[in-house]
Amino acid sequence: MIDRRTFLRGSGVAALVVAVPVPALAAAGGLTPNVFVRLDAAGRITATVPRPDTGQGVRTVMALMVAEELAVGAEDVALEQAPGDTEKYGPQTVANSTSVRQMSVPIRTAAATARCLLVTAAAQRWRVAAAECAARDGAVHHPRRGRLPYRALVPAAAALDPATVPVELTPPQRWRLLGKTRDGRVDARDVVTGRTRYGIDARPPGGLVAVVARPPWLGAVPATVDDAATRALPGVVDVVTLNAPADGQGGVAVIARKTHQALRGRDALRVTWQGGTPEADSRAWLADLEAALPAQAPVAGVQRVFRMPLLAHAPMEPMNATAHVTADGVRVWAPTQDPGGLRTLLSRQLGLPAASVRVEVTASGGSFGRRVEPDPVLEAVACSRRAGAPVSVLWTRVDDMRHDSYRPMSVHRLTAEVDGAGLPVRRAHEVVTWPLTVLPAFGNPALIRASGDHFPYTVPGDVSVTVRPAPLRTGFWRAVYAGQFLYAEECFLSELGTRSAIDQIALRRGLLPADSRLHRVLDAVADRSEWRKPARRGTARGVACHEDYGSAIAVVAVAEPGSRRVLRVHAAVDVGVALHPSGVRAQVEGCVVDAVSTVLGAQITVRGGSVVESTFGDYRWSRIGQAPEIDVTVVASDAPIGGLGELAYPPAAAAVAAALAGGAPVTGMPFGAEVG
Amino acid sequence: MARYLLRVNGERHEVEVEGDTPLLWALREELGLTGVKYGCGVGLCGACTSHVDGQAARVCSRTVEDSTKAKITTIEGLSRDGDHPVQRAWRELDVAQCGYCQPGQVMAAAALLARDPDPDDAAIEEALRDNVCRCGTYPRIRAAVRRASRIMREAR
Repeated sequence: MIDRRTFLRGSGVAALVVAVPVPALAAAGGLTPNVFVRLDAAGRITATVPRPDTGQGVRTVMALMVAEELAVGAEDVALEQAPGDTEKYGPQTVANSTSVRQMSVPIRTAAATARCLLVTAAAQRWRVAAAECAARDGAVHHPRRGRLPYRALVPAAAALDPATVPVELTPPQRWRLLGKTRDGRVDARDVVTGRTRYGIDARPPGGLVAVVARPPWLGAVPATVDDAATRALPGVVDVVTLNAPADGQGGVAVIARKTHQALRGRDALRVTWQGGTPEADSRAWLADLEAALPAQAPVAGVQRVFRMPLLAHAPMEPMNATAHVTADGVRVWAPTQDPGGLRTLLSRQLGLPAASVRVEVTASGGSFGRRVEPDPVLEAVACSRRAGAPVSVLWTRVDDMRHDSYRPMSVHRLTAEVDGAGLPVRRAHEVVTWPLTVLPAFGNPALIRASGDHFPYTVPGDVSVTVRPAPLRTGFWRAVYAGQFLYAEECFLSELGTRSAIDQIALRRGLLPADSRLHRVLDAVADRSEWRKPARRGTARGVACHEDYGSAIAVVAVAEPGSRRVLRVHAAVDVGVALHPSGVRAQVEGCVVDAVSTVLGAQITVRGGSVVESTFGDYRWSRIGQAPEIDVTVVASDAPIGGLGELAYPPAAAAVAAALAGGAPVTGMPFGAEVG
Repeated sequence: MARYLLRVNGERHEVEVEGDTPLLWALREELGLTGVKYGCGVGLCGACTSHVDGQAARVCSRTVEDSTKAKITTIEGLSRDGDHPVQRAWRELDVAQCGYCQPGQVMAAAALLARDPDPDDAAIEEALRDNVCRCGTYPRIRAAVRRASRIMREAR
């Protein structure tokens, strides 16, 4: 459609296009020009959201885009969540901070198509040129002919062939909604009244609940299962052994009528386990990574080794999924980041045509990378197949914390050859880490490097990646390997700046290429944080910057090293055209709290083969009292729309660590704690 | 299994469950009040925060049989139309990201403001200390509690 429009505009024939009625396209009294936007006979607008909203605000941006192009308010657009079907809806995976970037043109085009059809229908009715008409407030207006509401135009618009109507997107300078600050989340009322339906709230009629007895140490599988006591308990329906990988991570599922009954049934199980690695210890894993560093760095000079821990995703809504397997196929309700991938996987695994697999996407109580994986859904499918009824699998918090796909541990040796002024002139960054087991391609060192290495400065050097076998499940965690690589790079650069008493922002600006987008955000964050004034007594500051996902950010953190408190974090971000500024700020704020949490003490450790941490009591995520003031400046930009969900985490962590260190070298995270 | 009478959101409900069933699961599965969220089941995350006799309480950590004399209010019963000052403030400041912890945060904040209409930051942080938000909406939560306090003051 875009190509056609460009062609028509370029050849100067747009005004000559004649819209021909094509009655076949008129459906059920409504206007359905494409799969994303439709108007019913009463003129009510419904938009189908192709990607899941895991808290990043996709639904809000969707409503704003459709409302903008259809010249109505965001509240006039009803939202439907698309089921998994990539042939129909295009890419649906929430990953790599792509959602808003990739949705922007197709969704705005879809809504603009509906508007242009309505305008054309009005122009034909009035026998005027479409260019003289304008859409406004749910109606088409003409200076002399007056106003026709959409509902009066729907049948005529539906009879037009969309291919014959030129489509023009509303230019950004005429936006009323996109890019404005006043609009909040479209789902905000549902959230604060408890009406939002998450995966955990899906309970089809006749549905049962299952919880799974999971391996007590890594890699263990059931040897014997004595379920007599379990089966004798009220409400228990069945006990099913789950086999990895077809049924998820494996274990013994207790299926019951109610959650409490399933949990009691699980407590009563007697399972013996075999295999696996009951001796595994994360301190030994760290030592193994460190031992795999090359004997000598390729550069001589200032050197620092960084040690990075395991991290869990720990979304507030624990893993869960609901499935109903019938003779005709399977229906799944899941808080997923990847509905299309789930559908393909289930179709292949169950030998069903894709049309017999329906994946309903619920709201997600956070995700942070965990919900691209299908394991809870596979468990639910296995349980439902056995029970012959819908089954909801619930992971307890302990299950979720101890059976995650963790962010890999890593060891980084950074070396810099410095000149007489202390500036780096040559560098080496040697990394030893694990692959991401959830996506085997991520065993490739080149891919790990591509994910992690975004060094923006003009210092020549080498980055090497050594991959050791992963001793447990590892997966995508917000910012993926950049969370380790960039943290080490920026903390090390801060150390070089401190050694040579060079201003940290001036140091970075001096090392950046002249055309880097980072100059502007560094300037903006210097202004907002009053960088030129000396730090207040007892406080220290840290700086870091990062360019990725088509966006750029600079962060200044202010901390009180003595009390280990992070007081303030300033961020300036260039995301190109910011469609929803409040949502942009929210993503940065979230990354900053992740940064404070992981720098101040959240880490996963393994002893005796099992994960030690089990709840938010010992996985020390920040509480409200540890959250700093956060000031986010969205720098005006006409660059293309950039991604943002993960951008701020690595530099915020580096800036926070440098501030807490107060001039001392940072050697990893958590700050000042034993790693592993 | 036995029958228990619960007083929830101003109405009496009979539920038939094991007496040691956590109140959380009775509210969610027997009464359909799914705004009350499961987060950890052991009182450490605050996702299930509701009001028991006007006080913020973790309903995952008390049983049905111990709750029959209590007056229970869930997020669904905080206001008739979703316009409690705390709910309004949460919307005005666009607090939520994933939203999963927010019913618990809202209930904790409403209980705080009921006993301390003008809390300072220290009081806010104390009252909401064990309500975890994994998305990191804490700065907006702090601001929204202050906003709710002002909305309540202006209404008086």
